[in-house]
Amino acid sequence: MPRAPESPTGTRNTPRTLLWIAGVLLLIRIGVGIFEAYHPPEPADRVNWRPIASAEGLAAATSKPILYDFTADWCPPCRLMKGEVFGDPDQAERINHLYVPVRVLDRSREEGHNAPEVAQLQSRHDIQAFPTLVVVRAGSEPQVLTGYPGKDMTAQWLMEAASGIHRRRSLRDSIAFAPRDSVLAPRDSILH
Amino acid sequence: MNETLMRATMRQRVTSPVRVTLLASVFLFPLLVIGASPATGFTMLGSGYALTLVIAAGVIGQDVSSGVLQLLFARPVKRSEYVISRWLAVSLMSAMLATLQLAIAVLLMWSRHAPPQTREVFEQLGNSICVAFGAGAVLTFFSSLLPGFGDLAILLVMAFTGSGLDGIGQGFHLPVLSRIGDEVGHFVFPSLPLSSLLRGGGTPWYEIVAYFSTVTLCLAAAILIVNRKELSYASSS
Repeated sequence: MPRAPESPTGTRNTPRTLLWIAGVLLLIRIGVGIFEAYHPPEPADRVNWRPIASAEGLAAATSKPILYDFTADWCPPCRLMKGEVFGDPDQAERINHLYVPVRVLDRSREEGHNAPEVAQLQSRHDIQAFPTLVVVRAGSEPQVLTGYPGKDMTAQWLMEAASGIHRRRSLRDSIAFAPRDSVLAPRDSILH
Repeated sequence: MNETLMRATMRQRVTSPVRVTLLASVFLFPLLVIGASPATGFTMLGSGYALTLVIAAGVIGQDVSSGVLQLLFARPVKRSEYVISRWLAVSLMSAMLATLQLAIAVLLMWSRHAPPQTREVFEQLGNSICVAFGAGAVLTFFSSLLPGFGDLAILLVMAFTGSGLDGIGQGFHLPVLSRIGDEVGHFVFPSLPLSSLLRGGGTPWYEIVAYFSTVTLCLAAAILIVNRKELSYASSS
């Protein structure tokens, strides 16, 4: 039996506009889902990086170690680490929870020099290549990871460094420690 | 949208002692942790899903099982208006509570010399509001399917199914299964990727479209289901 036409004053009106919008969005969702399966968007850096100036005060107030990420815009392994580690929601949440994260961006190649606080930190921790992660905890020796040994090993190192297991590694040790596909970009100073 | 229905929904949500007790626990517990240890940041607040869950549980189903719906639909109230008003009421309530909770958390962190970054605060606020409206829509849909608090049962089953499929898919290297699990997860826990939008990554169009698609689908389906309900004083559901 055919249904009676809907009355404009009825209480059971079909939400035609909403149904249209839902249908169109569902189609777009399927299309975009297929597209992004082959062209995934670049992950955003989800770590809450703190300014260099406020890091030590914050570390003292929260009793967390500071995680310095010595990096540079031109450095390909740094971009890889940014996407794979700092762009991963779980890893980023862990870093935000365990550390006071501070990004120390090298601008010497672009601008010819670095900001004094950046130069001072690089000199204090003897940074020879990018990326380098340094964990500084009050009253103990800094822990250093030079190069990017891949997502899993970096995550493992970050967990262990938070509990103070590692000690400083030299650049040579870091390369030996890192798996075969580990990557790092030497600073200009050690190239010349 | 019907303001009277919205006000009645909000009143109904705060008159149940069990719900208010649960709400107080979900609201206060993270604040106590942040007060004791501000280093935890906003991790304890989560996305505000728990607040929405407590507020929105049984948003339609409770009216069905208590017989309120039969009385209400004896009046000339459009059923679509009823569904939208209920959704808006629970979502607005969740969003307001999440905002208040965040404000208190920020004050606590400031007072303990561990202030959060402005971007972090806005990101948390935006996430909570999006989750409130998204999860509100999902629970409204589930609640239109079963009376009482049956929506929570559907939610649990779907959440376990999603994470189970995802786990099996990853464990056995079956990307299709993993993707289906992921999709179920996206549906049950809708959220907008504000982190990616605010932090300069590529625009995750899929997650944005998926959020709005889930919300509109859930509301449209809830209205269609409520439209088809035949209610009488003699019926049990």
